Amino acid sequence: MIRYGWLGLIFIATLILPLVIGEYWIHVAVEILIMGLFAVSFNMIFGYMGQLSFGHAAYFGAGAYATGLLMVKTSVPLPICLAISMITAGVLALVIGYFCVRLTGIYFAILTMAFGQMLYYIIFQWYSFTGGDDGLQGIVPPDWIIQVTAYYYFTLFIVTGALIVMWVISESPFGYTMRAIRDNADRTRFIGINVRKYMLINFVVAGMFAGLAGGLLGPFNRSIAPDLCNWHQSGVPVFMTVIGGPLGFLGPVIGSVIYTFLFAFVTGFTEYWPLTIGLVIIFVVLYMPGGVLGLVKTKFKTIGAEESMDAEA
Amino acid sequence: MAILKVKRLNKAFGGLQATNDVNYEMQTGELSGIIGPNGAGKSTFFNLLTGYYKVDSGRISFQGKDITNWSPHRISRLGIARAFQVSNIYPALTAYENIRQAILAQQKRTLNFFTPAHRLAKKETQELLEVTGLSQHADKIAGTLSQGDKKCLELAIALGSKPELLFLDEPTAGMSGEETHETMNLVKRLNQEMDLTILFTEHDMSVVFGYAKRLTVLHQGSIIAEGTPEEVRKNETAQKVYLGEEA
Repeated sequence: MIRYGWLGLIFIATLILPLVIGEYWIHVAVEILIMGLFAVSFNMIFGYMGQLSFGHAAYFGAGAYATGLLMVKTSVPLPICLAISMITAGVLALVIGYFCVRLTGIYFAILTMAFGQMLYYIIFQWYSFTGGDDGLQGIVPPDWIIQVTAYYYFTLFIVTGALIVMWVISESPFGYTMRAIRDNADRTRFIGINVRKYMLINFVVAGMFAGLAGGLLGPFNRSIAPDLCNWHQSGVPVFMTVIGGPLGFLGPVIGSVIYTFLFAFVTGFTEYWPLTIGLVIIFVVLYMPGGVLGLVKTKFKTIGAEESMDAEA
Repeated sequence: MAILKVKRLNKAFGGLQATNDVNYEMQTGELSGIIGPNGAGKSTFFNLLTGYYKVDSGRISFQGKDITNWSPHRISRLGIARAFQVSNIYPALTAYENIRQAILAQQKRTLNFFTPAHRLAKKETQELLEVTGLSQHADKIAGTLSQGDKKCLELAIALGSKPELLFLDEPTAGMSGEETHETMNLVKRLNQEMDLTILFTEHDMSVVFGYAKRLTVLHQGSIIAEGTPEEVRKNETAQKVYLGEEA
């Protein structure tokens, strides 16, 4: 129960935050929220299902382009655009996932990446529809959230809602079935579960939330580019999750805070961002293999908390 | 009525005939054993019966229904469960969560996205923890349990599927003498009190006597003797290939 108290405090802090920080950092905070949602959706596949999706940007990008195209070419209201982003990403995940869940381990990672790159090249080349490598410009949010502070609260509201839904799923029988498949897929078959079908459902749900995160990005940046779908972008939630910790539900959000904040801070005075994040990853992998959350939990446990990593996850 | 019928079952791996023209039948309510030295083909036989391997030829039927080459999850849903020789559990989940998972699957609740899992199947999970003597380990991470307790958990997961037919692959492997006895008594109780048809394998002959009503001796993939434990003990072929080694 103490845990919920902490979450309440954090939520109140996020409500007050824009009142005490400057506009630049509000921009950073919006990005933390969007990327945090993207990373948590990635972790539904990585942490809970035990497979590394290295093409998760495909669903993020599909969501971004769905909302972006609708806002540039039609006058559909933003909330509906976001819903369509989720559906588009979900359908894409259903098609790609159908093939990917036949594989596990490195083959799963490679195939998800290959499909992701395929989507990237389609968007990159299809000038007449997607704008090709010029991307899409002029994705202007509606008046009521045109100020960055308002957009921050809008994003906070949607991301919090999405996180709650994903958390409920992770604690449901379906969520535990994912852990079971991660721990021992064969055993799970022998208790009567169609492992591939469940993996596919999870892949689609994760893709939908990635699509929602992508949808939020366009109106925030006022533009999108095909880079959103490529494999560099797929690496971002991987880094965030490794930094934050894959075994706790909020690990990827912590990772997003650290990664995005560091990016905003470091690129302010040096162009050696890849070197910086590389060093951070090396440090985390070598000295805190459970990520920040793993470290906090081990420290916490020595004081006497008895909950298991997974019971808390 | 025959609950399980196996006709002329064959399975080869490369040049090795792991299952050789096996005919086998079980009646509802039976408690029977398959014995044979390591490598006799016991585990392969179970893997064929539960759909883990595809058969080369032959038929398997359960309660009159042909289940040859069905996938494991479909066979499991019909009411056939198995426990593995090397304990095959969910190491990162607690013992309680391990058992609950099997029960939730049996109750067809695994597509429920919105009810917290900890509110479901409480009574059933507690019952199975008690039956298998794991109550005091309920909240321990399964991977940290002792070998003997892992085997009990393995059995509990199999029971969570509420099977009518249960395959136990060397249920006492790695257990101490006392644990072996407790486990075999539990198997006997499950058979008598819960009306469960059980087939188990064992490589240690002494464990089998007193429990199985019928024994089948497997050697190099073939059945070489069958009968009551007494008959098998007296059988010359069985003595030669198997019992002789033990004495």
